[in-house]
Amino acid sequence: MTVASQDTLVEARNLSVLYGARRAVDDVSFDIPKGRIVGLLGHNGAGKSTLMKAMVGLARPQGELKVLGLDPWRDRVALLQSACYIPDVAILPRWVRVDDLVTLMSGLHPRFSADRARQLLRRTSVGLADKVKTLSKGMVVQAHLALVAAIDARLMILDEPTLGLDVLSRKAFYEMLIEEWCDGERSVVISTHQVEEIESLLSDVLMLNEGKLVLAISLEEIDRRFVALSHDAAVADEMAAAHPLLRYRVGPGPGGSAALFDGEPPAHLQALGRRMRPSLVDLFVALTRKPELDRTQF
Amino acid sequence: MTHFLPLIRREWLQHRFGWSLLALLPLALGLLVAGFGQVEFDGDSPLPVDGALPVMLAFAVVAGATAIVFIVMSLTSLIIVSGLARRDHADRSIEFWLSLPLSHGESLAVPLLVHLVLVPVAALLVGLLGGYAISIVLVARMAGPAAWLELPWGALLPATLAIVARLAAGLPLALLWLSPLIMLTVLSTALFRRWGIVLLAVAIGLGSTVLERLFGQPMLSQLLGRLLRNAGQALASASGTGLTLRSDDDPLVALQGVPGWALADLSAALGALASPLTLGALVVAAACFALLVNWRQRSSKAAD
Repeated sequence: MTVASQDTLVEARNLSVLYGARRAVDDVSFDIPKGRIVGLLGHNGAGKSTLMKAMVGLARPQGELKVLGLDPWRDRVALLQSACYIPDVAILPRWVRVDDLVTLMSGLHPRFSADRARQLLRRTSVGLADKVKTLSKGMVVQAHLALVAAIDARLMILDEPTLGLDVLSRKAFYEMLIEEWCDGERSVVISTHQVEEIESLLSDVLMLNEGKLVLAISLEEIDRRFVALSHDAAVADEMAAAHPLLRYRVGPGPGGSAALFDGEPPAHLQALGRRMRPSLVDLFVALTRKPELDRTQF
Repeated sequence: MTHFLPLIRREWLQHRFGWSLLALLPLALGLLVAGFGQVEFDGDSPLPVDGALPVMLAFAVVAGATAIVFIVMSLTSLIIVSGLARRDHADRSIEFWLSLPLSHGESLAVPLLVHLVLVPVAALLVGLLGGYAISIVLVARMAGPAAWLELPWGALLPATLAIVARLAAGLPLALLWLSPLIMLTVLSTALFRRWGIVLLAVAIGLGSTVLERLFGQPMLSQLLGRLLRNAGQALASASGTGLTLRSDDDPLVALQGVPGWALADLSAALGALASPLTLGALVVAAACFALLVNWRQRSSKAAD
């Protein structure tokens, strides 16, 4: 994800965002082409929300950032007509009825479809006549997701969109997103801590660690580049001697260990273990953990 | 400003209950008092319909009801406006509003316009209609049900409408004079939350005291006095002659003089604008608004 083209929806070069003296996002460069579903992963405080805010013009960046060909900070209003955004702390106004909110959105967003929103809301447990203040946290999230999904945007930026939703609602939302919203032209950027749930949906991954981009890669490239070897405890020392990115448990018992390598592991090690596909979570841990920590010790 | 009407609708949706309550409650109380209260007048009762009292009473009731609803709603609007910049932060819905394609300027300007101009003007109209309703009850109790229709409406209607028009036309002028204080208040509550008003009051009080006692310069207190005085005169008595209707005046003649008084008074209020203070007030208000826009632009906090 580093080659800009006409199909690039987001283009960041040496992008930094500062809050006072703190660099929340530190010199990151990446591209997001059209038709991609990008997972933005990082620990709490890694800079995910700040990067997303910068992408929709709510945080002032340094460096170069173009979203849909626009400067988000300068052209925020024009950008938000074609890019929709759910912030991580989003709460809908409590004083309004859901149907009034749909009507308000119709007037305030040129690409919002009230019919589509009502259609999506009917699939949820949220009633159109309900006041937001009477809804549970999960229902508010459902309502917000339905409103955002009714926007005919080219780019959807979702910061922890399913926080507070039960597993069925999360599954329903992601199914709707993939089957109905994504059409090969639109792209989605999702930040979430529930990595396992969205791993199968993603086409690309951006990993942030303390503001720095430690990985910007497609899922296909991950399969080609990273290799995990599961092995018995008897060969653990030999695996450790090859300095894998991460050693971790993959199952109970002494034989349930694995070593994760960036690139092909040495040939003699491949004979000692069984090759397996590393999960996104293990890769995330490997690339963003504190060096002094070792998961095998827990 | 393509989002003008939707943003007005937003204010209506958020405040409709409070607005309706505050506007209709005084009128309902007025109707109750007029309908069931005890009304006593000196002299014989019932009063003759062609006497001065029913006419002047109807005028006073309409003007009074209009003024009361206008004052109640205007004060309420000032309270709402003082916390306007932070209201969406309180329920955290600011993140939702910031995710919509609305400029920061229009997101601040339209609510200000609604609360400072549209609501008071609407209050004038509601107060006027409510005043007519109260006058029906009151005059009917005094002089019979048909008496209200027999009032000299050719003079009464223009007189009451002139009062409403005078207040409506004076409102933007009063707001202009008050705009530095209003915008400073909004800005200070944006920056310092609920302490903003206290800090502003302390700063103004302390500033004027220091200037006056240490440097012998009462300019700040004089400036504030002029702003408040001009704002009051922008709404009424700008010409220095208040509207006075004496009971021994011929009611028709007195009422026929009201539109002329209103026009002269408005002219005097407009004439007061020809002052460097007008420009200064506008500059301070515009600077505060620009700072508010800048504050709103930067108010989205980091939350990774």
